[in-house]
Amino acid sequence: MSSKVTTIIIDDEKLARNVIRNYLGNYADIVIVDECKNGYEAFKSITSNKPDLIFLDIQMPKISGFELLELLDDPPAIVFSTAFDHYALKAFEVNAIDYLLKPFSEERFMEAIDKVLLKLKNRPKDKDDIIDKLSNHKLSEKDHLTRIVVKKNSRIIVIPTDKIINIEAQDDYVMINCEDGSYLKTKTLKFFEDNLDPANFIRIHRSHIVRIDLIKNIELLEKESYRLTLANGTSCPVSKSGYAKLKEILN
Amino acid sequence: MSNPFTQKNTSLIIYFAIWFAIAQNHFIILYMFLNITFELAVADSLVYNIIYCFLGLGLWYPTRYISLDEDKIWKALSNHFMAAVFSSVIWAYAGYFILSNWFADNQSYIQFLDNSLVLRITFGVILYLVLISFYYMIFYYKSFKEKAGHELKMETLLKEAELRSLKYQINPHFIFNSLNSISSLTMSDPKIAQQMTINLSGFLRSTLSHNDRQMNKLKDEIANIQLYLEIEKIRFGENLDFNIEINPQCENTEVPSMILQPLIENAIKHGVYESIDKIIISLVSKIEAKYLKIQVVNNYDPDTASRKGKGIGLENIKERLRLIYNQDNLLTIEKSENIFTANIYIPKEQ
Repeated sequence: MSSKVTTIIIDDEKLARNVIRNYLGNYADIVIVDECKNGYEAFKSITSNKPDLIFLDIQMPKISGFELLELLDDPPAIVFSTAFDHYALKAFEVNAIDYLLKPFSEERFMEAIDKVLLKLKNRPKDKDDIIDKLSNHKLSEKDHLTRIVVKKNSRIIVIPTDKIINIEAQDDYVMINCEDGSYLKTKTLKFFEDNLDPANFIRIHRSHIVRIDLIKNIELLEKESYRLTLANGTSCPVSKSGYAKLKEILN
Repeated sequence: MSNPFTQKNTSLIIYFAIWFAIAQNHFIILYMFLNITFELAVADSLVYNIIYCFLGLGLWYPTRYISLDEDKIWKALSNHFMAAVFSSVIWAYAGYFILSNWFADNQSYIQFLDNSLVLRITFGVILYLVLISFYYMIFYYKSFKEKAGHELKMETLLKEAELRSLKYQINPHFIFNSLNSISSLTMSDPKIAQQMTINLSGFLRSTLSHNDRQMNKLKDEIANIQLYLEIEKIRFGENLDFNIEINPQCENTEVPSMILQPLIENAIKHGVYESIDKIIISLVSKIEAKYLKIQVVNNYDPDTASRKGKGIGLENIKERLRLIYNQDNLLTIEKSENIFTANIYIPKEQ
């Protein structure tokens, strides 16, 4: 790899970005190519600048740090910098090289950079498993997904979960059908089953999740084989265990 | 529980007075209607009534040990009937024994004593029933009052616990991010770093101490919010502006402590944290009829796709106001296209 490492600092607070910029002043080999103050900016900048490394805050306007990572096909090396402790575990799951808890010292920062440089030298393209791990983390019990961020023709679309009609598994993807269109996302159906609010969504089949309040009718096709129709006319198969869950919820 | 009549001197005196009245009637009946001589009538009524007077005090104990539970009511009644007959027989014969020995040579009086024995036993049973009913009444009234007092105490405890659980808690995220800003400013602008350290200390100090109290003066609450907003303004710079307008008449009004802080934090969270544009927060307080009205208004980015919290913060404020003032709807929320308004109404003391 080239001798210089390119990096982008992503944080909604200028003062927080300044800390990193200041600490990086000692590294002649690391070049800051951009600073971004929200997920949208960061997505654009990462796609066009293709940095080797990003410093990423988690809580940001519009798109959080995690949501940003979901959108990147080929994410760079990541160092999280956040005030949230409970995200730390998740940060490891998404294979960040390190995470810095704000406020952090210069020594701690240097440790993180050492890890980054080592990793970039040894395995410059160790990225596949990032996506993989990301697909399946479970949020904490009480937090349900309130929105899903997807990409369509290099545009970022934020879908509030209450606009979702149903979700269908398709090979390695899921197809998210909404009132205004359908979107593909690289995640498992299990992830949505675990993280959508079970009061609003139900998994009725190996490859189908539907919104509960849109269920129009359920009909018996033949013995123990049901079919469900949604308010917009979509119809999906219902498995035996799915039917049991439906019965419990609708009663 | 001991006998209600022996608990206080006054009630004992009342008890004796009642017996004196009974004895008087007893005497009048004997002397005026049954032609018993004055001396005999006095002796008869004194002996019989003094014995029952003390026996009556002892009847408290059967009422304590025979409970009137519904499933054992017949057993209780038969026990009491037996106790009534038993004590009345003893009473009638004790009186008979004393008086017949005292006036052994008065044949006609002895004759009268013999003849009246059954009537006296009957009267003893009636007295027993009256006394027992009275004791039960006292007993149930006392335990009812005790229970009511106990329930009231439980209710107060519960309310206190609820209020404690609804109290404001400092958001650790805010503290760490502020400390990070300070850390950054020590490199670039030590003067502002110092100012922010002082503001943060002031905010932490008053928040920690205010939280011990239920109520606080509005002006102190506002001073604390000012500190908080100054800190957030240093963090977010251009993206945040605020103005605070307080009617001087309201300054000393007592309001629940830290009741405004969650509203301001909501405004920051849904406004500043989620928006790329400038957010303006305004806090106005004025007097409206019988209420002190505090209004918090902020703009927000309507495109922010439903990262809506579950409104737990707002629910907590509402619940806290309801518990303190026993009144609903002291918090109202209005949401227009991109403006969020929260109104808190503090009832003024009459």
